Amino acid sequence: MMRVLVVDDQPINCTLLKVMLEQQGYNILLAGNGVEALALLEKEAIDIVLLDVLMPIMDGYETAARIKKLSSDVYLPIIFITALEEKGSFERCLAVGGDDFINKPFDKAILSAKIKAHSRTRQLSLKAHEQNKLLEYHYNQTEREHEIVEHIFNNALENQYAFTENIDFHLSPASMFNGDMCLVAQSPIGSLYCMLGDFTGHGLAAAVGALPASRVFYTMVGKGMAVSDIANEVNTVLAKLLPGHMFCAANIIELSSSGKSISAWLGGLPDAYLINQQGDVLKTLESQHMALGILETDEFERELIHFEVDPSMRLVLSTDGIIETTNEYDDYFGEQRFIEVLASKAQISSNEVIKHVTNFAHGTKQQDDLSLVLFNCLAVPAPKKEIESYSPLPFNFSLSLNSTQIKQTDPVLEIVDVITRVGGLKAHRSNIFLLLSEAYNNALDHGVLGLDSDIKNQEDGFMEYYQQREVALEKLTGAMIIVDMRYCPETLCVYFTICDSGNGFSADNNNGHSLTREHGRGLSLLEEIAEQVSYNASGNQIEMCYRLTSLQA
Amino acid sequence: MSLSKSASADGTTLTIQIKGKFDFNLVQSFRQAYAGINDTTVRVVVDLRETDYMDSSALGMLLNMKKTLGTSVNAIHISNCQPQLKKILQISRFDKKFDID
Repeated sequence: MMRVLVVDDQPINCTLLKVMLEQQGYNILLAGNGVEALALLEKEAIDIVLLDVLMPIMDGYETAARIKKLSSDVYLPIIFITALEEKGSFERCLAVGGDDFINKPFDKAILSAKIKAHSRTRQLSLKAHEQNKLLEYHYNQTEREHEIVEHIFNNALENQYAFTENIDFHLSPASMFNGDMCLVAQSPIGSLYCMLGDFTGHGLAAAVGALPASRVFYTMVGKGMAVSDIANEVNTVLAKLLPGHMFCAANIIELSSSGKSISAWLGGLPDAYLINQQGDVLKTLESQHMALGILETDEFERELIHFEVDPSMRLVLSTDGIIETTNEYDDYFGEQRFIEVLASKAQISSNEVIKHVTNFAHGTKQQDDLSLVLFNCLAVPAPKKEIESYSPLPFNFSLSLNSTQIKQTDPVLEIVDVITRVGGLKAHRSNIFLLLSEAYNNALDHGVLGLDSDIKNQEDGFMEYYQQREVALEKLTGAMIIVDMRYCPETLCVYFTICDSGNGFSADNNNGHSLTREHGRGLSLLEEIAEQVSYNASGNQIEMCYRLTSLQA
Repeated sequence: MSLSKSASADGTTLTIQIKGKFDFNLVQSFRQAYAGINDTTVRVVVDLRETDYMDSSALGMLLNMKKTLGTSVNAIHISNCQPQLKKILQISRFDKKFDID
């Protein structure tokens, strides 16, 4: 029920209005002056105020102004009770916030119509106010959620801004969240990867795919995987996670650490360009594949393109937002303009290109995310590796293999795995493998099996050699190879001794070991990698010293 | 230890990728990888990004490939070598016969 507050110092007016309005079903409150009225408004819910102009203590003008101030959120109609002769004061009534007038003596029909009209407006205003509050609540909630998500995105797309020498990129999302993403990372061996992706649509819905895609990208680059493997894995993850109508057009490229060659997987983005410093297009690279997240893993196409580059070259990657930008005449920016802009200035920056695009749009609302990557084909400094500290303990390993074990196993890698458990040796595993592999295989092939390396030099000898080896290995009995390794923390050296049960060699018997011959690539490698290599007099034992500090050199 | 090969989208590059250990155990499969090479292939890339270990038998296999392919390809690249493997290739003067990256 609507509640009407009647404010008048004349009891007769109050009574009259009260009776008339109560008959029509309104709830009436009475006040004798402005101060009483304001006090009532403080504690009671009032929908309409009928206000006399001339009153003691606080008159209608001041009261109206204060009431309007109190109820700024919702429309609270104030109807002034006026006498016809007060016509001159109408203007002032409106100025202080009055909404209408009712003349004395009161006409019941007019009074009723006016109250009805204003209570309708009041109700509309109340409803709008409720909805505003709800809207504000949801708005705040969404804001808060966006803040959280934005935080997650910023952390997920971690080192976008590293490698500024090589990569100059610009992303300008059409809404708060970017449906485009630019990921950059370096592999342990130093090659630099960049992935530019464009998810279907834009805004948050488009951006969510960036989280799983970026995780896969960073993890696989961290392991130095090939671009085709990365594309394949991102595709698998997105195909599994995204709804059917969503996918990600993407270019994934890898620049070798020397800066000399590029491998690229191109799926669904506009043409990429290889340009020179002046911006002339040297090569146009068309998309080869469907976007990521569409094909099943078994039908996915992994084919890459490879090309040689030099430091004067730049690779230009972009999403369709650029060429599909329109101006006020609905013309597309298009590939031709894009190519012209690239050549408009030597070593143009991504921001300068985007400026051309936005100038072209000339205030037309941005429809899609605009993304551009200018990738300079410069050699990339290798990442610094953390050096594991060397163990202070003097480890010693030794194993002797009999014929059965020699036949059934290929023990070198397993031995390397064990010895590189010693703190600090992991970084040397390739060299340790090489030393052990050369020494062990020499002991086996020439010492124990008595094979002749010269076979390798003959036509097709390489295969022949390994076939003979297999046959000889099959027949092997009564043989033994002993491998002994000693890690010395004081000298930071690893000492290897490998000895075999073979006949060894002597000056006049030259058909056994290859170690004495000029043949062995293996031998010269050993001597380069190890600090010292020596053989015993009978030629069936080799000793090597490998200095761990040699890596820094 | 494993070996995989793939052709580039335009068919001009054959990539042979070796995972883990590159030694005589791969002698068969490595030879097979380039045996049936296409006429369109002008470049072979031996991608060692996931190769942790190699020894002189791998060097022999690479030289064999070079000998077999001869002038039928323009270049053989050995790419993405880890530092210690790169050093092995340099010591063996492979940079004279292969493009090492």
